[in-house]
Amino acid sequence: MRRMVLSDDSEFGRKYRYAFVFVGVVFLILIGRLVQLQVVYGAEYRELSRMNFLQKINLEAPRGLILDRHGNVLVQNRVAYNVFITPRFFNERAFKKLQALIQIPQVDLDYIQSKIMLAEGRRRGFSLLALRDVPKEWVLILESNRDHLPGLDISTQEKRQYPNGPMASHALGFVGEVDAEDILRHPLEDYRERDWIGKFGLESKMERSLRGRRGSIWRVRDARGRVKTGPDALRWLPRPHQVAPQPGFNVVTTLDADVQRAMELVLAPIESGSAVLMEVETGRIVAYVSKPAFDPNEVSGRLTAPRAAELYNHPLHPMLDKVVQGTYFPGSTYKVVSVIAAIEENLAEFEEYHLCKGWYEYGRSSSFRCTHAHGLMNLESSVVSSCNVYFYMLSERVGMDRMARYARLLGFGTSPGLGLNHEKSGFIPTKQWYAQKYQEGFRIGHTLNSGIGQGDVKTSILQVAQAYATIANRGSVMEPQLVERLTDYRGQTVQEFAPVVKRRLDFKPETWDLLARSLDGVVNNPEGTAYKARLAHLRVAGKTGTAQVRAMRKEPGQDPEETRWRNQDHAWFVGYSPVERPQVVVVVLVEHGGFASKVSVAPAMAILDEYFKINGARGQTTP
Amino acid sequence: MFEPEGRFYLRIDWTLMLLIVSITGLGLLNLYSTSTSFSAPLFTQQIYWIFLGFSAFFITATIDYRFYDRVANVLYILGIISLVAVLVLGRVFFGSRRWLNIGPLVIQPSELMKIIIILTMAHYVHVSPPKTDEGRSLQELVVPAFLVGLPALLILIQPDLGTMMILLLVFFSIMFLLKMRIRSLLTMAASALVLLPLIWTFVLQEYQKSRILVFLDPASDPTGEGWHIRQSMFAIGSGQLFGKGFMAGTQSQYQYLPAQWSDFPFAVWAEEWGLLGSVLLCSLYFVLVIWALRMAVTTRDRFASVICLGVGALFFWHTIINIGMVMGLLPIVGVTLPLFSHGGSSMLTFMIAAGLLMSVSARRHGL
Repeated sequence: MRRMVLSDDSEFGRKYRYAFVFVGVVFLILIGRLVQLQVVYGAEYRELSRMNFLQKINLEAPRGLILDRHGNVLVQNRVAYNVFITPRFFNERAFKKLQALIQIPQVDLDYIQSKIMLAEGRRRGFSLLALRDVPKEWVLILESNRDHLPGLDISTQEKRQYPNGPMASHALGFVGEVDAEDILRHPLEDYRERDWIGKFGLESKMERSLRGRRGSIWRVRDARGRVKTGPDALRWLPRPHQVAPQPGFNVVTTLDADVQRAMELVLAPIESGSAVLMEVETGRIVAYVSKPAFDPNEVSGRLTAPRAAELYNHPLHPMLDKVVQGTYFPGSTYKVVSVIAAIEENLAEFEEYHLCKGWYEYGRSSSFRCTHAHGLMNLESSVVSSCNVYFYMLSERVGMDRMARYARLLGFGTSPGLGLNHEKSGFIPTKQWYAQKYQEGFRIGHTLNSGIGQGDVKTSILQVAQAYATIANRGSVMEPQLVERLTDYRGQTVQEFAPVVKRRLDFKPETWDLLARSLDGVVNNPEGTAYKARLAHLRVAGKTGTAQVRAMRKEPGQDPEETRWRNQDHAWFVGYSPVERPQVVVVVLVEHGGFASKVSVAPAMAILDEYFKINGARGQTTP
Repeated sequence: MFEPEGRFYLRIDWTLMLLIVSITGLGLLNLYSTSTSFSAPLFTQQIYWIFLGFSAFFITATIDYRFYDRVANVLYILGIISLVAVLVLGRVFFGSRRWLNIGPLVIQPSELMKIIIILTMAHYVHVSPPKTDEGRSLQELVVPAFLVGLPALLILIQPDLGTMMILLLVFFSIMFLLKMRIRSLLTMAASALVLLPLIWTFVLQEYQKSRILVFLDPASDPTGEGWHIRQSMFAIGSGQLFGKGFMAGTQSQYQYLPAQWSDFPFAVWAEEWGLLGSVLLCSLYFVLVIWALRMAVTTRDRFASVICLGVGALFFWHTIINIGMVMGLLPIVGVTLPLFSHGGSSMLTFMIAAGLLMSVSARRHGL
């Protein structure tokens, strides 16, 4: 700068320097601030400005279907519409508009407003779920007013649908929204709020296969919430900006929807109990019923607390899977264990007779009774007419631990291997267990009770089915199976599950022969306990059972009728057919049904009858 | 008193010319970047105003500045009348009464008052030199204080806090640089300290107070004013060193910036052109202010000095307050960026101000 010539007259002679310095300093402060914003924090602000307009939209993967063995749909998805609101863009006017559009008392708009008001800071840029599962008509109304509703988004969500309602509900299961615990339990599987997760049944067991992999897409939005698609907007998108979702696999079950439906119909009059129908050669489950059932459509949504309490505290336990989670005294169905052990260990002759006087003489006790005096009984006839006295004798001869060993071989006391609903193992007692459990230790009376499936023996009905399938197929302990294969969304098979033989039992042929003869006699011999319910056109072999219920103390205020019902025994029947070359085994347990031959045999017969009718194959008719 | 008589040879101040053309041109470029995607005819409007502004600039520059000395009193009276007229007849926009219709024209008298007050102060300083060598006493400031106080009050009633503040800042800038007694300066500083809390309590409106409070803590109001400041800082910061490129600023293109054409054009500029562009623009303003100050010091007569000083102060305070505001250094007040912001009144005011500067510059070298 040229040397300045000051005019004589200027008043600013002395102070002008301060002015220059002041202006210089102030501009330096501005430059300093610019450097601070653009260089020091530049990268952070660049990211913050990107967060302003970039929005990641998740593309949810459809959950796989659940099908029956013939491809009939058992579980599918439907579209549910959820309304989301981004508070930053959703102004007062938009709220008024929404109020005007949706004048339904059930919709709590005040709650939505308070949610919008409460969102603060960065959260104002995130969308909130305002309305869940709205009807399609609303979607149309809201969509057509989109311009007046900035920040309002409608997104679709798959929702689980069970077209057959409660049918096979315990096998199929249900889903629920993930909770914090689920997310913690599967840290690597990218579960997010509002995701579905299988909570019960196959939905839970097959969760990994059914659930697909989420995709995502990025988009650019301006300050008013409008989506920008021009080339200049697209250049800000991260690469890759779109990841396609992977649909979940379909689960093809071993269930047969028609047989299942027929079985449900047969069991309709029964209030509480369970039944299972299984192929004896493969272990594949054809039908699966636990009663009372629940409706998975209801349970998969949001249950109100009172409704949930009602379901979970119901005296008949609808939320319990009685096929694998219920354990009962097997009653007379357990007698086959003593039979096998006696023959295999050469402890009984086929033609050895024993007199039944109606009770068994053991010690001072008179509690070892029979239904009536059967007279002279041998191995076969005692099974046919289910004589307890004969089995007290036989089990005493076989002994507690030998009986336990053969029970375990047949699959009792261990998990059957279905892998569903935390299946129970049941319980097979041993001498050692009694020695530890009771002060007076093990007694022969314990063995006698075990011999007729009482005392401390506990089995699930699936275990009984597994054991009788082994008897029917003469030696192969099959792992029960509900899933046949997985297919992708085009229907191509991804994985197949072959039947699994858990173990082979190499028993003597005469063991199998005697079992087959005597079980056939139960139904087809006039002396048999199930003779009255036999079918004219279908020959069935099987065994009845009555599981005593420990007498309940009468509680004050309890309905005497209910007390009476609760003290009634559980009624079992397990049967297979056709007799010559058995195909399927059925187990029916009627809780508090009373005497087996009256209540559980007929439904089991009807189920087998329906099965063969539907499959077009007939068992051998009785002569 | 030496009165510059006779002839000057007219010399166009090309530096000043270049500064004004550059700032205006960059402002237009910046406006083009953000306005094309909107239907409003902002860009053509601005071209029209720039044309009008340059006409005013040339007319103002052509007239000998001594003429303004003669008409200063008349202009002042006209200015006060128009300010009163605004309060009586003015149109209300956005809750304040600032605009006056004269035939087809809509004018904003408070803007013109910025020029008039510079001329009035220059006239006053010219006709009444300090009585002693020690400098001006406090008594000698009563008259100019009243001359400024009256329009400031009228503008405050509108209410237009920003303009009032600019008026006072220009006044104080001139006063500070005059020859004053030390004692008077100290008294002035002390009374300012007393006045500030009083102004806070009795003068400031609620919205103005909240703006200042939010400025002190932007996070306290993430949706309203704080949101604006933050978005503006996002824009500037995200420009980084070289900017996001012409017409590629996301904050501006996607309208995350509030009032981006009038109050926040610097943020748009800084986002698209980065630190390099921002420093360039700041430098232009810096040179312009220094140029005016230097002219104030070197020019021959007191009237001209005060005009240069006043115009320099006007540019300086507008620039500092606007840029400081968009960078989160100062609270948000509606103060435009000289010659850069979109808007007619602002453009006209600064073109006339620059014209005054040109008028002095062209004539200060006597024969």
